[in-house]
Amino acid sequence: MEKSRADGRNPNQLRPFSCTRNPLDRAHGSARWAQGDTIVLAAVYGPKPGTRKGENPEKASIEVVWKPMTGQIGKQEKEYEMTLKRTLQSICLLTVHPNTTTSVILQVVGNDGSLLPCAINACCAALVFAGIPLKHLAVAIGCGVLEDGEVILDTNKAEEQQLKSFAHLVFPNSRKSASSKEPNQKEEDSERGLITSITHGVMSEEDYFSCIERGLAASSRISDFMRTTLQKQAPGDV
Amino acid sequence: MDHHQRWRPTVNEREFIERALQSDLRVDGRRPFDFRRLKILFGREDGSAEVQLGDTRVMGYATAQLVQPYKDRPNEGTLAIFTEFSPMADPAFEPGRPGESAIELGRVVDRGLRESRAVDMESLCVVAGKHVWSVRVDLHILDNGGNLIDAANIAALAALSTFRRPECTVGGEDGQQVTVHDPEVRDPLPLTIHHLPIAVTFAYFGEGNIMVIDPTYKEEAVMGGRMTATINSNGDVCSIQKAGGEGVMSSVIMQCLRIASVKAADITSKIKNEVNSYTSAKALQKVKRLPASALKKDNAPDVAMKESSDGALETQSTKPSSDGQQINKEPPSVVEDNKQEDVEPMLSECNPEAQSESRLTAGGSDEMQEAISPKSLKDAVKPKHKRKKKQHSKS
Repeated sequence: MEKSRADGRNPNQLRPFSCTRNPLDRAHGSARWAQGDTIVLAAVYGPKPGTRKGENPEKASIEVVWKPMTGQIGKQEKEYEMTLKRTLQSICLLTVHPNTTTSVILQVVGNDGSLLPCAINACCAALVFAGIPLKHLAVAIGCGVLEDGEVILDTNKAEEQQLKSFAHLVFPNSRKSASSKEPNQKEEDSERGLITSITHGVMSEEDYFSCIERGLAASSRISDFMRTTLQKQAPGDV
Repeated sequence: MDHHQRWRPTVNEREFIERALQSDLRVDGRRPFDFRRLKILFGREDGSAEVQLGDTRVMGYATAQLVQPYKDRPNEGTLAIFTEFSPMADPAFEPGRPGESAIELGRVVDRGLRESRAVDMESLCVVAGKHVWSVRVDLHILDNGGNLIDAANIAALAALSTFRRPECTVGGEDGQQVTVHDPEVRDPLPLTIHHLPIAVTFAYFGEGNIMVIDPTYKEEAVMGGRMTATINSNGDVCSIQKAGGEGVMSSVIMQCLRIASVKAADITSKIKNEVNSYTSAKALQKVKRLPASALKKDNAPDVAMKESSDGALETQSTKPSSDGQQINKEPPSVVEDNKQEDVEPMLSECNPEAQSESRLTAGGSDEMQEAISPKSLKDAVKPKHKRKKKQHSKS
């Protein structure tokens, strides 16, 4: 019943993740996030005084700069910048530093599929390392729907060419309550809303909901990984 | 925006750096003629390299495509260096338009590499006047710790040394049809690199009587002048860049060039060693790949050759799974064990036994060694009258 994928993973299996804390010296916070061979480097500068023209000065504003591996940025990269900006705006506490700008710069180091989700995870980690106040983390996952309606997670480049459609989903991190010994997973998950959903291609309603269901389950794994990474590596925190 | 400002030392900081230099002390504890630690990492894809020179980080990425050649050079490929200072590296760098220093950096690297004919351009010709390979090197400045020129130059060399272009053959009825072969069918070819021009930057302080090599960004903010000498391991001077600044005695310049040629030899051997270990590791991966795909074929005879396209992923253990809907717990936990620390997935290290094995089996690495073996500038640059004749006869 379970079909294995070209690289030997099963449909729900994610690639190995890794995260490096503050690889850059000059940036206020930076992270190198890798999902298999997709690697994104994110740097955060800020908050700097002043907002750009057209931004609300009563809130903090966020600017996102996307750097592709080669060539100029096109429409797709502009869309990535826009998606990232809105996603990050929704997780940051914008009222803490009004009339400031925080810049997030992304550099693609390797692209092997699921680029946008990898970039969102990298940004989120970099914001934490820079000490920008956040409401919660954002966890992104790429779900692909094959011709036969099967959903695969964390797609790589070869798989993305065979997909009928795909969805990039962003969820808030799973909650971890210290009090209850056995958290009711179902109840907890239903509380978590969807932050961003970018879909490409035609998919049925069922397919979309199955993407969300599986993506949500996967996102709690990723958020566990993110949490342990952030906790273990913060030297000041005890 | 006016809050994007270059790092400026305070009066005390400036004085401290200058005073210390007067007694041959540098703020990071180096001696005047020491380079910072150089680290070269390679990506999974051919032609991508990341160079760390102390805190300075530069990523180089080489790509190529078939284009029509320039009219005046119908049988030569092209090489272009693209640099843009990413705002990631320094808050002073603005996105979009490349600044003065970004253009200077690009030009110095370009002059050192292209105009010294380090890369053989004629071997990039497929059909004279119709199709040539155009090689593009993107240099991404990731972190500005000072001395970007030297780091960017090394990144460009490392990227070009590991770059492979797809093999192509000319055929068809008129003999003009170009077939580009898939990298899986025919092994891609390395570039022919005659010599490695290494940029070495000196910073001058005071009245030009104090000099240091490989300045950090703090020293750059204080220095009175700078000179970059691009020299290969044979001692040929490929370019010298000194744009104004404090005047420097010619005897000091001669001393600089002598030091630079020693440093260039060091860096050349470092680049070559790193490139060799990368190529032999790569070759080893190819050797390993065969039994894996053969094994797969036994299990599922209808598995196509596709398998071999993802060599890196195959090394991942395939976990048999029984759970349908639930997410497999294995991958995240495995990751946590070994990737917590500063993980360098780009690092291309291979164990000694693997290296020796690959030397026996892989012909590719030997070829590579040959390709980048030092040749003098005279081999690279043809006498001018010869080139001209050729052009005339062609056109």
